[in-house]
Amino acid sequence: MRWGMVIDLKRCIACYGCQLACKAEHGTPPGVFFARVLKHEEGQFPSVRQLFLPVLCNHCEEPPCVDVCPTGASSKNDADGIVSIDPDVCVGCRSCMMACPYSNRYFNDKPQHYFPQGPTPFEQRRGADHQRDVVMKCNFCKDRVAAGKEPACVANCVTVARVFGDLDDPNSEVSRLIKERGGFPLHPELGTKPSVYYLPA
Amino acid sequence: MDANARYNQLIQDLRMELRPQREWGDGKGLYLVVGHFFNGLACGAWLFSLLFGQTTGLLAAYLMGIIGGVTHLMFLGRPARFWRMVRQQKTAWVSRGFLGLSLFLAGATLYLAPIYLPGLLWSEGSLLSTIGYVAAMLGMIGIMGYMGFVYTASKAVPFWNSPLHPALYVSYSLRGGVAVLFVTSWLVPPAKDLTPILLPLWGGITAVVALLFALEIHGALTGGNEAARRSVHDLLAGRVSGYFYLGTLALGLVLPAYFMYAGMSGATTTGLMALLGLASAVGDFFMKFSTLRAGVFLPVWTHLSHQRR
Repeated sequence: MRWGMVIDLKRCIACYGCQLACKAEHGTPPGVFFARVLKHEEGQFPSVRQLFLPVLCNHCEEPPCVDVCPTGASSKNDADGIVSIDPDVCVGCRSCMMACPYSNRYFNDKPQHYFPQGPTPFEQRRGADHQRDVVMKCNFCKDRVAAGKEPACVANCVTVARVFGDLDDPNSEVSRLIKERGGFPLHPELGTKPSVYYLPA
Repeated sequence: MDANARYNQLIQDLRMELRPQREWGDGKGLYLVVGHFFNGLACGAWLFSLLFGQTTGLLAAYLMGIIGGVTHLMFLGRPARFWRMVRQQKTAWVSRGFLGLSLFLAGATLYLAPIYLPGLLWSEGSLLSTIGYVAAMLGMIGIMGYMGFVYTASKAVPFWNSPLHPALYVSYSLRGGVAVLFVTSWLVPPAKDLTPILLPLWGGITAVVALLFALEIHGALTGGNEAARRSVHDLLAGRVSGYFYLGTLALGLVLPAYFMYAGMSGATTTGLMALLGLASAVGDFFMKFSTLRAGVFLPVWTHLSHQRR
């Protein structure tokens, strides 16, 4: 089994729902974004268009971040293909951040909260497991997936632009969409074999 | 920089298509540059001190190895967890560097102890001293290689992703080693004046460094992608060009080259050569610093734009 995600760029309206759902799910501090939406303008007036690209950890089949980790804190689970970081093992050398060609890793080096009066009870509860001075990233909401749910960004996408499933199963919806709609990963030339695919807009 | 400023900086960076890397070389990341700088000097100084029989140079190399090790630990988010790199040795270049530094420091301790504490512990030429010699040599090779390969393995930063980077770091290390010997020869003059040997050696290694650097820049400009070209722009005409021109070129190349010319013309003193060494070493520091700071992440959009056309 290899968990993967397909994001339909034609459906994405850049509402940031995925980013907020992810923040609510993981309680990530300011400066840490497991899911982000990039905006990009192409062309010149009068034929200009704005493109949106939701990004997250690509959970690569050949993850360069795992190869450069000196302690094995970054690892890939061969059973489901999820790449995760063990904060108890990470030493904070940030080699993985320099190796990730998708810039989807963040260093959590300061105690931060969103409001000047201090952390809210929600932040305190959600961030209780977060460790400082370690690298953080998306783990495909593996706890939710283990409980039979979809990742938070998928479950909360208002336009159903995200589909989550098993890439190894040729009959899964993700495999079908990639095949029928010409799904493509980011930077395939690097040979990282990402598990996140995009459907052309 | 406080948490708010760092957050604002990150948000601003995330909006850029060509995002500069700030984790290595900025803020606490400066410790990494300092660590690489001292470790580079230590390796080169150890090698040339052995070749020319300079015990002061060996001691200087040992001390700089310690400083490099400590600054490496200070760079880590969790310095107290360094032992995990020992317990869970991996094939990553950082692991190899850690192993190299550990071997170097342990070996150098064994080798230097009988030289500086004669009659107290084991003797020079004993088995322990020989083991120390071999371990320090192996560690030295490991550290010299590790630094360049750590950058080459950084797939996200195309400018560093050059096969020449390891060779460049080895040559920096050798140049730094000669620079250290210039300084130690001034502090503790050796029995035989080393200047006639060290001066052309420094010049030759500097020429190799300049050639490798020029080739790397040429490679990034001609065969590199958008991010690599932006890094070169940032280095030569952008946000880090001041460090490059003043630190690397003026202080690290032009000034020592003038001292070299003066030395070759006959007006040489050990003090002048020490200044040459110092300027050369400072130049190496700025070269490492500016190259690191010029790093720009690979843009995520590149392939997507192509897909949509």
